Amino acid sequence: MALGDIGYTESDLRGMVRKWVSADRVPKRVQVKDTSDFFRVDYDDVVMLGGVPYFVRNNEREGRFGLEDEPKFWVKRAIDLLTGETKVLKWVFREHFEARIGSLVFECVRSPQKEARILELVRGRKDFMQGTTERDSAGHPLRILDYIRGRTLSQITPMLGSDHEDFFYNHFPIVLDEYIGIVEAIRFLHQLGEKHGDIRRDHLIKDETTGRYRWIDYDFNYRHGESRFAYDLFGLGNILVFITGRGDVTTNRTLADSPGILDRLSSDDVNIVFHNRVANLKKVYPYIPESLNRVLMHFSAGAQVYYETTEELLEDLGEAREELERR
Amino acid sequence: MDTKNSGQPKDKHFLIAVDESESSKRAVLYVADIVGGFPGFALTLLSIIPEPEEDFFDSEEEQTAWTREKLEAANRLLENYRQVLIQAGFTPEKVRIRSCVGEEKSFAEAILDTRCDLSCCTVVVGRHHKSKTEEFLFGSTSTKLIREAKNCAVWVIE
Repeated sequence: MALGDIGYTESDLRGMVRKWVSADRVPKRVQVKDTSDFFRVDYDDVVMLGGVPYFVRNNEREGRFGLEDEPKFWVKRAIDLLTGETKVLKWVFREHFEARIGSLVFECVRSPQKEARILELVRGRKDFMQGTTERDSAGHPLRILDYIRGRTLSQITPMLGSDHEDFFYNHFPIVLDEYIGIVEAIRFLHQLGEKHGDIRRDHLIKDETTGRYRWIDYDFNYRHGESRFAYDLFGLGNILVFITGRGDVTTNRTLADSPGILDRLSSDDVNIVFHNRVANLKKVYPYIPESLNRVLMHFSAGAQVYYETTEELLEDLGEAREELERR
Repeated sequence: MDTKNSGQPKDKHFLIAVDESESSKRAVLYVADIVGGFPGFALTLLSIIPEPEEDFFDSEEEQTAWTREKLEAANRLLENYRQVLIQAGFTPEKVRIRSCVGEEKSFAEAILDTRCDLSCCTVVVGRHHKSKTEEFLFGSTSTKLIREAKNCAVWVIE
């Protein structure tokens, strides 16, 4: 791309870069790259989006379930050279694939237009990642997201308290309130007919500036069956079990830490999908109130009824919250 | 609603909701077996196409083509089942077919709305043999029908 086309000279851009990064990070040459192909956009390049120059930094990474972080080449951190704000640029990366949970296979898609649509719906909300959408040079919707400084729920929760009992009595009520807020945010989406699509604990970042969790990454969609939001609710259930257990309480860990407890568990007590995770946490931590454990049991292999809406879940959580307060 | 001449009792109108599954076939054959050849029955065979969410398509044209293809396949299936029921003794004018796109409704809601529109007394579906996990993650149409249906009978055929 010719620099003259964008209204800035290379010297202008280097001057702007100098303003926001330390001297040793200012590149000798600044290249303005076309935005249509994320593979051609590298560290230290500049891309123009909506008339704004962005100075590109690293690819974002995503770790899952203890695996090494995977680079996401279509997601790059960048600095808005006009304001100095850190942004996350998310290029169009359409994926159509079959997801598997055990023997169950279902159709999924990564859809940039879905995320763009939700960004509009959640504008100004403190419980969702914020951003705008600009067209890249090929006309595809490229999302410019505010960078959220903070840690994920999966990083924060296991660090609270000295042990589970200390956590449960001294931190859990606040954690549960936060969780209720998290579910209310998803209720907002569902009421508008939208799914989050990829609900999991590392898609929640506690924003350091607000002290509140924000949902991130709304570009997944799944082909739902009879129950449009059941898969989202499954994700919410997993998070609830995770926070209540102060981490995943697995059968392996239980066997190692307290074999006597494992003997008391039946096949109904484990997670309905992940059979190595305990859902009936009251059998492990007897001080968990009955009303809260009843909610957990909706996500267990022994469940006879399932939540279909966030409303149903919130109603039961309200009861659990009240019981916690009475203690 | 199918009616006889004034003064004659109305037909009992059954709504049979089908898809391409074996369980749907069993439902159709069961109705053929149980009420085939008896007078006083009218049937509507219904097929609902899942909502074609825009996110799954690259363009509107692709989405339209997908929907058209699914509707054509559904109509072929319905016509086949219609012939099965006619062969079982129903007169052709007593067996109708209907296909529609689910939009934002669940299958069960769409079936019950159709039942209401057509004033059917009985809804018939086949029971899909879903694992517990599958039912948890994606729901069950027959379970929801049993729970939500009002003013009608629901036959769930094993």
